[in-house]
Amino acid sequence: MSGQPIAERSSLSGATAPATKPAGSLLDDPRMLGWGAVVFVLVAWELIAILTGVNRLYLPRPTQIVVALFDMFANGKLTVDLGYTLYRIFAGFFIALVVGVALGIWIATSARVRAVADMFIAALYPLPKVTLIPLLIIWLGTGGPFMLTISALGAIFPIIINTVLGVRQCDPGLVLAARDLGANQRQVMRLVLLPSAIPSIFAGVRLGLGVSIILVVAAEMVVGKFGLGARLYLAGQVLETEQVFAVLIVLAALGIVVTKIQDQIDIWLGRWRLA
Amino acid sequence: MIAPAVIEFDGVGLAYAAQSGAPTVALDDLRCRFLPGKVTAIIGPSGCGKSTMLQIARGFLDPTAGRLRFVELANGAAAERPAMSTVWQAFNLFPWLTVIENVEFGLRLGGMPAAERRARAKKALAAIDLTGFDEKYPRQLSGGMRQRVGLARALVMEPDVLLLDEPFGSLDAQTRLVLQEQLAALVERSGTTAILVTHSIEEAILLADTILVMTARPGRIAAEIEVDLPRPRSHGTAQDPAYGVLFERIYGLLRDEVMRAMVGERADT
Repeated sequence: MSGQPIAERSSLSGATAPATKPAGSLLDDPRMLGWGAVVFVLVAWELIAILTGVNRLYLPRPTQIVVALFDMFANGKLTVDLGYTLYRIFAGFFIALVVGVALGIWIATSARVRAVADMFIAALYPLPKVTLIPLLIIWLGTGGPFMLTISALGAIFPIIINTVLGVRQCDPGLVLAARDLGANQRQVMRLVLLPSAIPSIFAGVRLGLGVSIILVVAAEMVVGKFGLGARLYLAGQVLETEQVFAVLIVLAALGIVVTKIQDQIDIWLGRWRLA
Repeated sequence: MIAPAVIEFDGVGLAYAAQSGAPTVALDDLRCRFLPGKVTAIIGPSGCGKSTMLQIARGFLDPTAGRLRFVELANGAAAERPAMSTVWQAFNLFPWLTVIENVEFGLRLGGMPAAERRARAKKALAAIDLTGFDEKYPRQLSGGMRQRVGLARALVMEPDVLLLDEPFGSLDAQTRLVLQEQLAALVERSGTTAILVTHSIEEAILLADTILVMTARPGRIAAEIEVDLPRPRSHGTAQDPAYGVLFERIYGLLRDEVMRAMVGERADT
């Protein structure tokens, strides 16, 4: 984290500066600049809301939102909602991961399966998955199976497509080397094709998890009784604008956490590439 | 120990189906024997099917004519396929595995317990002076070191026959000289059977007991040349007058074929 800012600062302020910080140095640090801007916007928001006396139904002040956020966690409701949403996202996502990688390897290694799957993927991949919500409700109702299905549907296509891509990009020399050392078909898949496809699979995981989050929250807004999407929608209906903002903050925080964890996994998985 | 079998090419040919017209003949009526305990080099112009011969010997490709046989040296009776391991020009190390994991790979496939295969892999790495690099990834090594890992990975399998597919073809000239001598020493010490595919006349003479000189496509055997220079050999062996005679003879054969291959390429385009 710190390597880049330091390098930038030293290149900007030259060789003379490091002992006594010049006034502009805070503005040269991207992290300070980023957080500073956030604080500035929040303070400005608070002040403008106070000065203009805008109705809190339209625009609550940041302090009011924070109070609402704490209240919602304190009475346990938001914790339950967060739990539901996380469970739906990740349970569906892991189903998609296991099924998607297996299907992807199968498609990549068999020309026949590929010929069949190509048509279905071409038809289903670009289809906005929210459009499947009505049909899935007819089939599955609005309970757990529906939520897991919609979440898995969101993630599975990017995972399949990237798995196929990764496996097909595998160096044929590595497959030959493995066979030379005695690997059978299954061992080639498990020990050569799969590991060599992992960077590509993980790119699919990133895309897929993003879609899962969108779909689960959207589905909760449409039919949910619990979950962040449901809470968001219900709060909006009764004009609890602070609560709407509070849920948005939780969703944004969820996005940050997921992204940062993915970054760390990416670094760990790619350690042999960076070496 | 039962002596490993002779690998025999009995009129082996390979033809690819062409887009139109007659099939392309890559290899034509190859008749040769690879003897146990001997190093046989296959040398020829680019595209003559040298590496394809290794793939056929290894069993990865089936000949479209003739057959591949394994026979006892003593009585010519049919024998089991000898165990073979390949060292590749492109190294083909698994980039996501460490050096030691690469060397263990074949043993792991065979289900050997972790402790035992680790010990064997360490011994194989020590035998080629790569101790202390166990936990490095291939990308962290120089080309010469990577190919020594490739060699250790093949040797740890204790193959009856070592297949060397232009093993030093992608290394720089100096590294190549050093590794050629190391391999010569290793081959002389272990008495292993090896088939070496190479572009280099020097390498063939340094390492081989027998050199098969190939023609340009379709690949045929132009000459089978015995190398009776004394062992141990090194690059100093080039001082031997007999070396010069051999070199000239092989070069004379190859020069014509290389010219022919170049004319053929021009005709193709």
